[in-house]
Amino acid sequence: MTASTSSSDTAFRVADRLARVPGPWDVYAVRTRRYEVHLVRGRVELVRGPIALEGYGIRLLRPRAETLGTGFQSSTDLSEEGIARVVADAETVARHSEFPAPKAELPSSGPAGPSLDIRDPALWDRPRETLDRYVAALVAAFEGEKEVTASFGSIKVSLMETSIANSSGLHAAYSHTGVETEVAVQSFGGPEGAPPGEYWVTAAERRLEPEKLGSKVREWARIARDVRHAEPPPNGEMPVAFPPEVLSEILPAALSFKLSGQARLQDLAPTLGTNVGPPDLEIADDGLVPWATGSSPIDDEGVPQRRRQLIGRGEVAELVYDVLHGNALGARSSGSGFRSGRVASAWLSFTHQPNPSTTTLTLPGGGGGRDEEVVEAAGDGIWIQQIGWASPDPVSTAFGGEIRIGYRIRGGKIAEPIRGGTVGGYAMAPAGQPSLLRDISVVGSEPRLCGCLAMPTLLVSGVSVGGEGGPRPTASP
Amino acid sequence: MADLREHADLAARLLRRLAERASFAEAMLQRAAGETIHIDAKSVRASVSPRLAGLVVRAWAGTHWVEGAASSFESDAVARLGDEIAGGLAGAASTSAPPGESSTTVGERETQAHHPMRDVGSEDLIDIGRDLYRWATSVPGIRLAQVGVLWSDDERLYLNTAGANCRQLVSRPHAYAAPIATENGQSKVYPIFVGGIGGREIVDRLSEGDVATASRAALELLHAKAPPTGSMNVVLDPGTTATFVHESFGHGAEADQFVRDRSYLRPLLGQSVGPETLTIVDDGSISDGWGSVYFDDEGHPGQRTALIDRGRFVGALYDRESAAMFGAHATGNTRRSDFLGRTFVRMTNTLLEPQDWSVEELVEEARDGVMLEHWVSGVEDPQGGQMQIKVATGHRIENGRLAERVGSMALSGKVLHFLRDIRGIGRAQEFGMTPGFCGKGHSDMLPVGDGGPYLLSRAVIGPA
Repeated sequence: MTASTSSSDTAFRVADRLARVPGPWDVYAVRTRRYEVHLVRGRVELVRGPIALEGYGIRLLRPRAETLGTGFQSSTDLSEEGIARVVADAETVARHSEFPAPKAELPSSGPAGPSLDIRDPALWDRPRETLDRYVAALVAAFEGEKEVTASFGSIKVSLMETSIANSSGLHAAYSHTGVETEVAVQSFGGPEGAPPGEYWVTAAERRLEPEKLGSKVREWARIARDVRHAEPPPNGEMPVAFPPEVLSEILPAALSFKLSGQARLQDLAPTLGTNVGPPDLEIADDGLVPWATGSSPIDDEGVPQRRRQLIGRGEVAELVYDVLHGNALGARSSGSGFRSGRVASAWLSFTHQPNPSTTTLTLPGGGGGRDEEVVEAAGDGIWIQQIGWASPDPVSTAFGGEIRIGYRIRGGKIAEPIRGGTVGGYAMAPAGQPSLLRDISVVGSEPRLCGCLAMPTLLVSGVSVGGEGGPRPTASP
Repeated sequence: MADLREHADLAARLLRRLAERASFAEAMLQRAAGETIHIDAKSVRASVSPRLAGLVVRAWAGTHWVEGAASSFESDAVARLGDEIAGGLAGAASTSAPPGESSTTVGERETQAHHPMRDVGSEDLIDIGRDLYRWATSVPGIRLAQVGVLWSDDERLYLNTAGANCRQLVSRPHAYAAPIATENGQSKVYPIFVGGIGGREIVDRLSEGDVATASRAALELLHAKAPPTGSMNVVLDPGTTATFVHESFGHGAEADQFVRDRSYLRPLLGQSVGPETLTIVDDGSISDGWGSVYFDDEGHPGQRTALIDRGRFVGALYDRESAAMFGAHATGNTRRSDFLGRTFVRMTNTLLEPQDWSVEELVEEARDGVMLEHWVSGVEDPQGGQMQIKVATGHRIENGRLAERVGSMALSGKVLHFLRDIRGIGRAQEFGMTPGFCGKGHSDMLPVGDGGPYLLSRAVIGPA
């Protein structure tokens, strides 16, 4: 991270043109250089880059009697005329918008936030060469695997400079990197005559780690081979082990809105003190986890990041707020004003207004031990390796998805692979109703960082699985 | 909105420069405009769509494509882009032509709307939104809702060194209403939406009656029983059928998956995969279809392509490269999400054609099982041929009649088994089109339309 105040930072250049525009206003900008390599069956199909994108969004806050008019417009046009058009658009929109905040207090200049590891230095200094070497290492790693290939894949790296300025005098900027990986790992051949199996890997990270490629590809290949002889899962309620790779597809999307000032404003958030899990459940939202895609020294309104204890002793302890929702509800911003996704869509974040959002959900390691010990505690049940799409509903927190690949757990050991059928339920529910958080029976001891989540494997009891077999009545949630 | 042709000379000069090093090059210039209004219980949030504009340039390097993009039409920025792409072409075996036919299409098309959304104005847009909100919350028991009205004008200009020159302006309005029912800490939402190519007449299709029905459905969801689980007979409502057609079947018919050897359907081309009553098409030429394109991003006109004809898998969707590899022609399905995204083979409007079964006949034929209603999402699996479709609600089917309402559930199983087990296809009166957004994998989202009638088959039902 750098806390530069270079006059070349996009937001500062735009802010210089807003001297005559009455406040409050803020400018948020992102300048991106992006490079991509796309592969088909081990050969390069397409080399992209640089893809140069520089854009900014201007937000105008216009206090009225008891509400605020919020005007927003974004653009890639940095000319004087272009900026003037954006301001005019935002003023027009502000006249028609209503937000129930009595005032607008944007953060003033101050500390730019803590230093953070969110920029891959090799990638930043030599993006194309670093990417090319990484892709070559990826291709080489697959060459060592018998009857396994990447049917297609892409590695996309983004070098981003984020800058924020406002009418209260804030000038802040930092730089960061993003890496998106998509690889379809295909297993084929052999005497069994089964159709090819696929393990479809997607990941959003901050850095390239070529030293880990060998072990990653071996693991991907093993799972892709298991897909070829996987059988449908059983039908019914059973203990299910959710590793962090799967939890990261469920919990951030299910809880980010539900535990926010935005949900509270719409009477959709649980009140503080509501019990949602066992008494030792502790979930925080930590915007300062090194190399996490959700980490940044400041949020997208310029408020320094921090750790927020969302759930403590099994009860809702804190909600996340941006400036406006905090103002509307008598709370302070928790440094949680964000504009969109962290990596995949971060370069277009300037096209969105801020809303309260979580960053990295953390749960400390428990007493359940390594993954093998969590499996042992399950006795009989299933281990989910990957679900198609959990599709969490932010209002109800319901989630559910097809089991792309998992494993039966028999006698406390990983047994045969399973595939097909669905698993689902509610991520969080009021007292008396089953949910993923409420029914945690074992918390593993080894948290892992996966996307917007850093948690250990969780064993959850009584999870509903829709597998093969005739229609089976299920208890109401 | 100014015409992108004002930048055509700049792009043409860049292409001529690249033609000195590459046998073929193309450019797509894009500019977007629009407005968005969201209204919830406490706020009215309005924004003007980003003034995003830029160009992407692709050139053939002999063995692969080289591509770059810039969010500016300034001559310096475009010159820098040209330098970078020319650098990527250095040393390439550039005399060989790229695979497939290069488009030479010259044309210009703009959406002809009865009431263009760009003429509606912000105040009227908010009034439309307030009406939607009022309709949603006028049903006793519904206090909360989220509603929105959006429109976009997507202007694209495609040029290539073979002479193609296609400009299009596509206007897409979209509106939604999501009533929210709450009780004892539970919240249930039942969103409905409309979208298409055209003007305000599209938004006006979302009626007061539709919204009130959605509100009543949200209330019913509070007390819906959990669905049965396991393998059973299923009747899909039109939206769920449409999601199946797109996600479960259509993605396997995108021929770039053939190039990757990643489609369970490819070995079945020419073979029977379903009953003779089954016909599935992709049609990018439907005049008001949400997913229609006048020209794709390789310069080919949008067209109708039969995928399954009377039960036989007869065709796929091709870009220039996959068409060359499999002896076919490009089908007008090469699309970029925007000037920042790459080309892929993508669907436009994908439809399962109606037959003659009434809903009552399908339910009676099912005898026991479940009806799936109100799709929420779907996921593709072009390699494995598995399906996953999530719906918000449905009804049990018992003794050939609809029984109690059940809550959200997911459909899974093998696509080929589902097609084989189709026992009835609904009639045109209940046929429905659904506007949606689709990614290629997890990115590159773009508008697609799907359509279908009620449908009876067999699948695995589980929680969602």
